Amino acid sequence: MGEVQLQKGSKGLKLSDLLVTVLISVVLGVVYHFWSSVYSLLSPLFFQADELVYGMWFIASTLVFLLIRKPGVALIAEVAAAHVEVLFGSGWGIQLLIYSLFQGLAAELVFAAFRYRKFSAPVAGLAGFAAAVGSLLPDIFYGYVADYEPWMFIAKYSMRAVSSVVIAGFLAYSLAKAVEKTGVTSLLRPVESKDMAALDD
Amino acid sequence: MNDFLIPQHVNSFHRANPVAKLLCMILLFMLTLFTHRLDFVFYQMACFLLLLLLFSGHRFWKISLIILPFLLVFIASSSTMILFGKGDTVWWKWGLIQISQESFYRGIHIGFKSVTFAMEGLLFVLTTPSVALFYALMQKAKLPPKYAYSFMASIRLLPMVWEELLIRRNALRIRGVRSLRGGMKWLGILKLYMVPLLAQGIRRAHRVAVAMETKAFDGQGERSYYYPSEYSKSDIWVILLLSAAVAAALLMSILLPPFGITDVRYR
Repeated sequence: MGEVQLQKGSKGLKLSDLLVTVLISVVLGVVYHFWSSVYSLLSPLFFQADELVYGMWFIASTLVFLLIRKPGVALIAEVAAAHVEVLFGSGWGIQLLIYSLFQGLAAELVFAAFRYRKFSAPVAGLAGFAAAVGSLLPDIFYGYVADYEPWMFIAKYSMRAVSSVVIAGFLAYSLAKAVEKTGVTSLLRPVESKDMAALDD
Repeated sequence: MNDFLIPQHVNSFHRANPVAKLLCMILLFMLTLFTHRLDFVFYQMACFLLLLLLFSGHRFWKISLIILPFLLVFIASSSTMILFGKGDTVWWKWGLIQISQESFYRGIHIGFKSVTFAMEGLLFVLTTPSVALFYALMQKAKLPPKYAYSFMASIRLLPMVWEELLIRRNALRIRGVRSLRGGMKWLGILKLYMVPLLAQGIRRAHRVAVAMETKAFDGQGERSYYYPSEYSKSDIWVILLLSAAVAAALLMSILLPPFGITDVRYR
């Protein structure tokens, strides 16, 4: 019983949590690689249509949090995914890291606001929305987006917000549910009192 | 990591400590981010292009090949602002599109900025092996080893992820899963690929992590390193060179301004 207590007590991230977080982000980095072609396919549809799939860039933080359910992983996942992109020598260089910091931090704050206890689709959606807000901050300094015509500003960011809620929220949730069914998540999740009770039966 | 990325010759940029270089790059990033003077950004881009060509240690054609897509970055980041930005001196108007002098200059300013960022990032990536970066971060920036080693291990696991993706694609093809078009079917395809990739990734990462934990890769406190990371004279050279590049950009923008625009922001 002493060992079990010890495990329950340690709240920090273990190497296994970190490695899983970073590796999922790497997998998502591969997905991003294909996603950027979807992204550019959509562009000719109408101007800024690519914003409709923008939420995919935030999925690392929500998906990893829904899978691992520990504090801090949302931020690390987003930064790790950006790091992969930078490593590939993508044209979008170091600014990706700055964006990922803001986006990951915003998503992390939402999960923290629910004290890391809520893993529902709406909470993930809210975190995705927060990540979109996080991406607005560097946009203001970098892209001077406040100097767009007002209608353009509203159109661009409302599309981004909707896509973040749908993709980083609800799609991430359904993916996490599907991965849960495979049973791998039991490797990662902290031991709950419910599981302890099951041992006593 | 890849034969393509092994430099042709090595200079101070490669020998400098990655942490020192990273700090320089962050400072440069900040400088570029908060530059609102069109001429200054333009010359920053020119100077970093020059540094990249001279000091990356790679052949000219290779650099050209890598920076060719930056043109796309330029267009992608500048077009929205050019077409839909605020401005008073209107050049051309068609429906919702309105190109004004202000929005045009602001647009190309954003384009130059993006390309400058890309060059700064590329200069760092091409001269720094990622293993050296993480060893330096552990030794000089006090990054806990568990973070550094999980990043390094994941980079090594990346080829396996790629291979699994190919296997999955072949498996689906042999089972007769056609690429579905239209509607929400892409969602199904996404799941067909993502779920096994993620599940397998989690399993593998967990296995590797347990092995690494038993070998104390997550250790706390003092430890020895296979690659010692030291500061050297090269760091000073790099700092001097980068400062010289910025100084040259500033000087040129004052002496020979091609645009003569001091602030691209809308009043």
